[in-house]
Amino acid sequence: MSDIGKVRLRIPSSIKPGDVVQVRSLVIHPMERIERDPQGKIVQKNYNYINKVIVTYLGKTVAVFDTTQSVAENPFFSFTFKATDPGQLKVQFLDTTGGRYEGTADIKFS
Amino acid sequence: MKDGHPIPRRVVLKTLGALGAGAAAGLRSGASAHAQTPALGQNESVQDAMKRLFGGRTIKDGSAVIKFDIPLIAENGSVVPVAVSVDSPMTPSSYVKYIYVVADKNRIPVVTRVTLAPEAGRAAVGANIRLGETGEVRAIVEQSDGTLLQVAREVKVTVGGCGG
Repeated sequence: MSDIGKVRLRIPSSIKPGDVVQVRSLVIHPMERIERDPQGKIVQKNYNYINKVIVTYLGKTVAVFDTTQSVAENPFFSFTFKATDPGQLKVQFLDTTGGRYEGTADIKFS
Repeated sequence: MKDGHPIPRRVVLKTLGALGAGAAAGLRSGASAHAQTPALGQNESVQDAMKRLFGGRTIKDGSAVIKFDIPLIAENGSVVPVAVSVDSPMTPSSYVKYIYVVADKNRIPVVTRVTLAPEAGRAAVGANIRLGETGEVRAIVEQSDGTLLQVAREVKVTVGGCGG
């Protein structure tokens, strides 16, 4: 499971100023689901899943995903942002154990 | 030292002040987000979840503006791609503030809540979700003026993905 926290970002290869750009992001993460004991009781423990995804562009927050365990393993998220200036797009994934995984992409105009 | 210092005192003070203000704003938004987070995913019925999220507010039919892409039959409930896009302007005065995805039959019905800023340009998000069993999945959109719109789709699940 050493792959946990690997982030992949996909942006279109050519972006023009003012475009609304769709970005696809993926993180490798187990997103543990609720376990039950043989009596059907929920096992109480701190489940390790991603509960927040923060997208920032040029230092401004564009979108925040608050997620629960109903999101699939190795979660995939897509979102859009308006490309106004060249700069950095950053996606941060936070999980319930304090893990923080991030991916960045440099937005350039061709 | 007094004359030869590379950074003027005024600049240093200004920068420090700006940093302080930024940090304070960050702290505030972080604290409010933290207060809401524990409540989002809970083991509850969908009725309770809707009540908790929206109280008694009326939710209008949003099929005219919301495009909700989800397969009609999900062979594998553990990975179901959904995409929600909203035909709405994204200007600071009128934009889509939240997009919720709620799966009625999941033990944790609230799947995700997306908070959008006008800088997003277009309200279009996607995610891979889990579905425990056949049932309705809803996409609920809250606009910046507080209007709630909803679209629901029935999804048939062949193999459930929520386990437990």
